[in-house]
Amino acid sequence: MVSHEDVLGIARLCKLYIADDELDSMTKVMDDIIRFADTINNASEEGAEFDNINNLSNAFREDEVVPSYDREEILKNANDVDEGHFLVRKRV
Amino acid sequence: MKYEMVAGFETHIELATNTKIFCSCTTEFGGESNTHCCPICIGLPGTLPKINRQAVKYAVMAGLATNCEIANISKMDRKNYCYPDLPKAYQISQYDKPICEHGYVELSSGKKIRLTRIHIEEDAGKLIHKRGDTYVDYNRGGVPLIEIVSEPDIRSVEEAKEYVEKLQQVMRYIGISDCKMQEGSMRCDVNISVRPVGSEEYGTRTEIKNMNSITFIGKAMEYEFARQVDLIESGGRVEQETLRYDDVTNTTSSMRGKEDAHDYRYFRDPDLVTIHVTDDEIDELRAKIPELPAVKKQRYVSELGLNEKDAQNISKYRKIAEFFEEAIIGVKTPKTVANFIIGQIFRRLETEADKEEFATAITAQQLNELVKLIDAGKVKNNLEKSTLEKMLYTGKSVNDFISESDMAGRDDAALTELWQRAVENNPNAIADYKNGKQKAIKAVVGFIMKESRGRADAAAAEAKILQLIK
Repeated sequence: MVSHEDVLGIARLCKLYIADDELDSMTKVMDDIIRFADTINNASEEGAEFDNINNLSNAFREDEVVPSYDREEILKNANDVDEGHFLVRKRV
Repeated sequence: MKYEMVAGFETHIELATNTKIFCSCTTEFGGESNTHCCPICIGLPGTLPKINRQAVKYAVMAGLATNCEIANISKMDRKNYCYPDLPKAYQISQYDKPICEHGYVELSSGKKIRLTRIHIEEDAGKLIHKRGDTYVDYNRGGVPLIEIVSEPDIRSVEEAKEYVEKLQQVMRYIGISDCKMQEGSMRCDVNISVRPVGSEEYGTRTEIKNMNSITFIGKAMEYEFARQVDLIESGGRVEQETLRYDDVTNTTSSMRGKEDAHDYRYFRDPDLVTIHVTDDEIDELRAKIPELPAVKKQRYVSELGLNEKDAQNISKYRKIAEFFEEAIIGVKTPKTVANFIIGQIFRRLETEADKEEFATAITAQQLNELVKLIDAGKVKNNLEKSTLEKMLYTGKSVNDFISESDMAGRDDAALTELWQRAVENNPNAIADYKNGKQKAIKAVVGFIMKESRGRADAAAAEAKILQLIK
């Protein structure tokens, strides 16, 4: 059963604001989602192996340097740039 | 009540690959900001990571050198957290199937510090906080790391320091990382708690993040131990939290508490396929692991007759050990070689980096030649050190300095002439000697030493003079 605290905790991690009058309905929605996802627990694990669904392994790259992109290209999509750096609002 | 310290380490080590873990950008340290970047390592949508084969090999070698079991099958997972040093908002790491598990590092006391696991992950970018903003440089983002996680087996600052030094030494020996703490290629998070001596239960732990100096690790642990003991003694409780250590004030302060404990929502990275390492491949890598320092040290003591301390000093750095092993080939006294290295060559190496690089003016072959001449009695005792000094100063070989007259036991024309001259120039001293004043002979020897500028063999000279004046 999902609690109000769970929902508030997840909201904090997602940086979402949830108003007090939304809490009940959000908790119910979250609980429904978890219950739905939980049905997977009814599946039998018998004969199941390590999840390697595509049966691929070892797609390796050799350790050879390729020139990097020009800095201008790298910074082109940034909202804010200063002194060759991406600039973001300070957060701790 | 008496308390004991309980500590475990999470150690991040940057692997010495040429390229990043999931793209072909260089891993070179430094460089202008954001110039070692491409769409993969700045996490642009639509890009696909592809793992560096060498990074996997190095991680396996790290495991083999620390007595781990190597997993034939492992995989990469996403560790989700939102912070600007990670452009994708997740770090690619390993969660439930790390590449190495259940190893240990043995301390000099014989105590084993167990390793829970070693896993592969990518490094984050560098953040510089200034003028109220955060400046982000992704050059380091995507550099391959291994994280070595120990069990809480460490009980003192001394054990902690030795553990970190041993890890550093072994990783350098096998050549998978330069482990330069000051450059950040080796960093430690220290988990520390206290408990009454004799208690089996663990106390609440705190985690000191990102330590990059062995000295500061020691200081931070001492501070944190005292802080936790004081807290408990004064009726308080240790809160589980993440701390940062300030080396200026020598204190720890809270970065974030349990309130903000991260929920990383790990799940398998669907962009990266399973890593499969066969037993044959593991054996191949095992063959590449050189004799490790602890084994070398033991062998130097038991087979070569070095004392513990010298064996320790010589085996500590791989290049020095290799130099030593080349210089002792065919010599009678490996101890002489060790004395020269420790006494005279070490003195010229000021920093750790100098010792690691071991750049000396002479080759192991040249030292070998010198010691062989000494073994053969061809270099007099009082000249051994100065000869090596000259060699180190000029980079020249022993034969360039040891002239015929320097070599003991030789009876060539130059020496004969010198002895004769000594007798002729010191008639009074010789007369005194003949009159029973034994000590007078020393004046004649003194003359020889002066004339030869200290290069003559005093004992041999005295014997010769006595023979001449009989």
